[in-house]
Amino acid sequence: MKNKFIALLLTAALGTSSCSKLLDVPSHSAVATNTLSQADVEAFLIGIYSRVQNAPGAQSYIMFDMVGGNLINAGATSDGGLNTFISNILRPEQGLMSSAWNGYYSALYQVNNLLESTESLPESSRKQEILGVIHFFRAYLYYNLVTRWGGVPVLKVNTAAKVPRNTETETWEFIEDELELSMATAPAYMAGSFYYVSNMSATALMARVKLALGKKDEAHDLAETVITSGYFQLDDFENIFRNATNSESIFTFKNATIESNTNISTLFYTYAHPVKGSYVYRPTMEVMNLFSSSDKRAAISVDTYGGLNVINKYPSGQSGTDPIQVIRLGEMYLVSAEAGGLANGLDRLNELREERGLGPVSPATEDEFLDAVLLERRKELLAEGFRYYDLVRLGRATTDIGLDDREVKFPLPMNELALNKLLDQNDDY
Amino acid sequence: MIYKSEFMKKEVCSFLRRCYSLLFSPILKLVCLLLLGLSLQVKVMAGTYLQDQPLSVHVKDADIQSVFKIIRKQSKYLFIFSDENIAKVKNKITLSVSNSSINEIMDACLEGTSLTYKIVDNTIILLPVSEQDVTAQRISIKGTVVDASNGEALPGVTISVKGSKQGTISGADGHFQFDNITPPVTLTFTYIGFSKKEIVVQDAQPVIVKLSRASQNMQQLVVIGYGTQKKQDVTGSIGTFRPDDRNSRPVLGPDQMLQGRVAGVNISGASGMPGGAVRVSVRGIGSLSASNEPLYVIDGVPVLPHNAAMTNFGENMNPLAELNPNDIASIEVLKDAASAAIYGSRATNGVILITTKSGQKGKGQLSINAFASMGNVPNLHKVKMAGSDQYLEVANEAIDNYNNQYGYTPGNSKFIPYIDNPYPTLPETDWLDRVLRTAYSQNINVAASGGNDKSTYYISGGYQNQQGTILTNELKKYMIRANVTGTPLEWLKTGVNLSMSYSDNNRVPGSNLGSTIMGRSLPQRPFDRPYKPDGSYYVGGTSDLVYHNPLQILNEEVAYLENYRLLGNAFASVNFTKDLMFKTSLGADVIYTHDYIYYNQKHPYGTGNGRNVDDRRLLTNLLIENTLSYQKSWGKLRSEWLLGQSFQKMTTSTSGIDGNGFPAPSFDVLASAAVINDASTNLYGNAMESYFARGNFSYDGKYLLSLSMRTDGSSRFSPKNRYGYFPSMSAGWQISKENFWQDAGKELKLRFSYGATGNQEGVSNYAYQSLTTGGYNYDEKSGISVTTTGNEDLTWEKARQMNIGFDYSMFRGGLNITLDYYQKKTTNLLYNMPIHATSGFTSITSNIGSMLNKGLELGINTNVNFGELNWSSDFNISFVKNEILSLIGNTDVLSIGSNRGLQVGQDIGSIWVYKMLGIYQDDKDVPQPLYDIGVRAGDVMYEDLNGDGNIDINDRQVVGSSNPAFYGGWNNTFRYKNFDLSVFLNYSAGADVYATWRINTERLGYNAFNNTLKTVKDRWTGPGTSNTTPRAIYGQGYNFYNSSRWLEDGSFLRVRSLSLGYNLPASILQRLKMKQLRIYAQADNLALWTNYSGLDPEVNSSMDPRYIGEDNLILPQPRTFILGVNVSF
Repeated sequence: MKNKFIALLLTAALGTSSCSKLLDVPSHSAVATNTLSQADVEAFLIGIYSRVQNAPGAQSYIMFDMVGGNLINAGATSDGGLNTFISNILRPEQGLMSSAWNGYYSALYQVNNLLESTESLPESSRKQEILGVIHFFRAYLYYNLVTRWGGVPVLKVNTAAKVPRNTETETWEFIEDELELSMATAPAYMAGSFYYVSNMSATALMARVKLALGKKDEAHDLAETVITSGYFQLDDFENIFRNATNSESIFTFKNATIESNTNISTLFYTYAHPVKGSYVYRPTMEVMNLFSSSDKRAAISVDTYGGLNVINKYPSGQSGTDPIQVIRLGEMYLVSAEAGGLANGLDRLNELREERGLGPVSPATEDEFLDAVLLERRKELLAEGFRYYDLVRLGRATTDIGLDDREVKFPLPMNELALNKLLDQNDDY
Repeated sequence: MIYKSEFMKKEVCSFLRRCYSLLFSPILKLVCLLLLGLSLQVKVMAGTYLQDQPLSVHVKDADIQSVFKIIRKQSKYLFIFSDENIAKVKNKITLSVSNSSINEIMDACLEGTSLTYKIVDNTIILLPVSEQDVTAQRISIKGTVVDASNGEALPGVTISVKGSKQGTISGADGHFQFDNITPPVTLTFTYIGFSKKEIVVQDAQPVIVKLSRASQNMQQLVVIGYGTQKKQDVTGSIGTFRPDDRNSRPVLGPDQMLQGRVAGVNISGASGMPGGAVRVSVRGIGSLSASNEPLYVIDGVPVLPHNAAMTNFGENMNPLAELNPNDIASIEVLKDAASAAIYGSRATNGVILITTKSGQKGKGQLSINAFASMGNVPNLHKVKMAGSDQYLEVANEAIDNYNNQYGYTPGNSKFIPYIDNPYPTLPETDWLDRVLRTAYSQNINVAASGGNDKSTYYISGGYQNQQGTILTNELKKYMIRANVTGTPLEWLKTGVNLSMSYSDNNRVPGSNLGSTIMGRSLPQRPFDRPYKPDGSYYVGGTSDLVYHNPLQILNEEVAYLENYRLLGNAFASVNFTKDLMFKTSLGADVIYTHDYIYYNQKHPYGTGNGRNVDDRRLLTNLLIENTLSYQKSWGKLRSEWLLGQSFQKMTTSTSGIDGNGFPAPSFDVLASAAVINDASTNLYGNAMESYFARGNFSYDGKYLLSLSMRTDGSSRFSPKNRYGYFPSMSAGWQISKENFWQDAGKELKLRFSYGATGNQEGVSNYAYQSLTTGGYNYDEKSGISVTTTGNEDLTWEKARQMNIGFDYSMFRGGLNITLDYYQKKTTNLLYNMPIHATSGFTSITSNIGSMLNKGLELGINTNVNFGELNWSSDFNISFVKNEILSLIGNTDVLSIGSNRGLQVGQDIGSIWVYKMLGIYQDDKDVPQPLYDIGVRAGDVMYEDLNGDGNIDINDRQVVGSSNPAFYGGWNNTFRYKNFDLSVFLNYSAGADVYATWRINTERLGYNAFNNTLKTVKDRWTGPGTSNTTPRAIYGQGYNFYNSSRWLEDGSFLRVRSLSLGYNLPASILQRLKMKQLRIYAQADNLALWTNYSGLDPEVNSSMDPRYIGEDNLILPQPRTFILGVNVSF
């Protein structure tokens, strides 16, 4: 009986006092955000790299190849359906539209969050460095947004409110401002540290941005700053795209297998390939025919396996993930060349070509030169997310690959429009 | 809460006072001492025969209590006596015996006193002589048992002598006999289908005992929350199903058992795969959040809703399939708020109480149920695909149409050439035939049960081996159970209900996985082949084969799901007085899951060198529950009171490792993996603290009232919104007990109830908090990230439900009608509300609105005899209408998934897509914007709601709903002599099925997939040829937008089961010393009538109420033929 008394007393005690505390069940994998301190800023910074790398999804990194005529659905027996393939992607109801939009904005939320925390830190050189990284990422995210959708809501601080779109000009201005800030304070590049944002990353991205805006002189100077910085040298594709040490990368997402679910490679290989993939997209025949026999990029860029054409730049297939080149020196050579024009740019073009195993070209006119640069960009940067916007920014998308007029901008995703009435759809979608 | 705590304290105090006075009451003084430390060591399973134990006693002038002490030192005997009796033993005892029996010693001690004794198990009770008539003579009792309605002899009736282990069974002529009986005795007669009867026999006169058929209804006990109630006193709306030999189907879990049985309960499966998830909806859709399942309470333990599997292998798995349906005595569905509100915050979607079998007092019983079955996939003719010639005809017509439309001619880079059959001389492949099979299953279940006045036991063991109709799919289940109660002391009852099970499911990919077997078999091109001439596979996704090779998928993977489950509770109840009882109970549901998938190097997902995903989980659900019940009558007013408290904590601990790089397929554990892709563990949980009270009142058996209240505190909400209160009331009027009610053969009861219930499922464990989560690592450095913004205002979802109904019975129970009407309004709907992504998130868990369910339920039960033919039937039909009332002021459609929308005024499950009006017969009819994207005559005409010429999201509309207008079931059992025949039908009308599988099989040359034969024949080939099926066109997705083109009526009538059984006659049974032997043949899913063009309108690719009724080529329920036997001794 006494035993029972003890049991009864225990239950009674449980019932009256201790249960309320037992209702505080904490999470073991997370902490309440309000318990974080300034010491957590470095961990947040690492988290930003992870989020920006993973949030938009694998397709976002090759989207401009998909809608730029470099890729087509792997099941297509010929390239005849290329424009249908592109039009099917550029639909407001396409999941790829919303996953990219949602991904960029969710990453931006983290970046803005860190910006707020960092600004409250006491002044230090490290604080400035972190701010430099933050401004780079904001510019990088908005670059991805503006090149897809044109003007988008520019959020300098996080907000739960519904906001309308800024103009395309405002968006570009914001990107330029952010990169100015980043170039000034981002950590100085140290040899081999291309998995982290540096002042060189910011400079290189700014060169890309200036070229997009037609500010050729600035673009040329910035690209030359990077090329002549002494940190980088053109390197073999075997090194760049086979996860080796290389001297070419300026900023690369490490995209380590255990830290990532962004697998670009499986989109390209077939199930019959040794590393296996789901073979969603294949290079078009035009792409397969781009590379001459002496082109050292050819084998790493494309391959034919079991009679099927595949992109070969991301080698892991199902067995892992591969680093993602964000900015590398090859692009800077081509930015410098394009921005320099026939007079000031041809040398850089031919230097690159020589490095890739090709002889020099000698275009007679600016137009021919631009064609040559574009062709080189297509080969050099295949499956790295450039082609579509190269055509769009030069006004050649409708003529070169026959896009519809509306297709020079992406449609805003259907759900976002439904949830925020302040947003307007791009024309003719 | 302060109020509640005070209240509890008061209760506890009065309780303690009572215990204190009990402790010092003279009767129990000594007993307590003797019992100290022994109270729970009661052996109840088997009688211990202590009588044989030799005892030695050597005393001189001792009092009797010292003798008892000596005996206790040598044995386990307990003594029960009152002080007043002990006082009667005046004389001092002198005794010297060795190796004597307890009877010898007791006889010697009590010689010459006015006391005698009785030995029950190992307890010796001292009694005054008058209570035990030692001079009574022993007699024989003979008698006959007959059916009260017609006087016919009843064989096989179980007859037991109350208070002893004696028992017998009536013979073929209804005759029975007991010898050596000391009158007076009480005989108990029990017989299936008849009311239990007790008679007192004083002398040896032969007796004739008339048993009446059980008027199944009013006297039956119904299980309610935390107790039982006579059916006649029930004022809420409760549906009951009691499985027996004749109405059982071969099912894996108790939820499947309920299908079609109870009005208001709609049950549909995920697929025909063994162990697949089952969707159970009680009274429509109660919540918007993903978890819409009722609360299952198994022997008093609320179990945790979860997916039995961890990795997505194409469909969710059912955790209840781990239990043994043979152990179930009854299933009660608490449908209205009044009956469910005692389960408070988890009761909005109804509560299903499952009670397992227990032993009965009287003669023991051993029963064996065994069956073997074979099943296959029915109705395959409905999905007949095109042959090679037809396939090529369509594919090349589509190419022609494309080339012509854009003016591409040979030589143009965009010109598309014809395709042809690469293997013109080889036979076509019947892909489905290559992966489907006849599935064989075996099941055996053995149960032993029995008991006496002090204890009961039910022990069972079962084994089930169920093959799936897809190659390699097989579920094996091993189950044991022990339900034991013991009454060691008059005032104390203890017991355990314990089940353990192990299930091992060799899985195949379900419909929501890229390697789905059905979806990857049916649309293959007819001329393609699984094996190359050299025996290796043709690999899917290459030019050789369109889709994954399903044989490669099946042969080169091992995927098993193992679940070990321990579910049970232990309880002790203390009767302070006849009317006041305290019960404490500890419950646990512990599940260990091992979800294992191994793709070897030949598998398409095998990364080239093998991949293994190994997930493990420990789910722990612990419950402490204390209740105090009290009953009291004042004249004609009877009252029953219940007070209770419970604390429940659920913890989930998981581990998952994903690796690849195996030296060879025989290495299949991660110890030999070269690369670990992902490895993590996690730990999370929630807790709930609850207090509840109920009062049931009945005046003169006519006027009934029940009041209940529960408060739950949940860790899922912020401290300021942590507690929810859920009151209810219900009332009943037994009109037929009024004096003015003339007809004795008819009974009528009116019921009314109103109450509140809640829901917290669908809210993640930490949803109210803004959380920063780890694991966002980069370059081997640990990173953190804000993952949720949190919502401090998050609060309980609450449903208020009104129920009005009546129970009417006529022909003395031959016809029973139950009718209920209800209205359930759910407010503060919990939902992961989609929000604009520029906020940084795509959804936030919020209380977003309210909705209403209205419904009518009718159950008709008949039991009629036509001479020797007995017909009993149960028919039920339910009508329910769901409507969203508000979505935080939003009247726009909230788009969800690819084909659904939520909108005020519509129901959940509304299909929100374009409406197909027909086929454009002429290019001139096509609006310019559509013409510009390639739409031509022969393409689908969608309704252009806003008239802008374009077809976009603004043109979507609600075209249908996956909720049925009505549904139900009808079971008929015919009994004639020793034969029984059961026919069970279930049906549903008015629900639409969204046939997404047709999007892959009616592409008509868009890409390489094959087409159904019907589509090929119906396709548009010129003006006037079709207004339902479009033309063949290469590469243009316009014709298969999500639209009403894929919407079909999913109404059906199914012969759920048909069984014919034969009971061996009693004369043979007696010779075999058996109580019962029934052999039966059964067919499950024998016939299906439906207009749905797919295989089965009742399967769902998602269990979420928002997306139900979608068929993406799911494995249908098999048609099964069974041979079985039920034996009992």
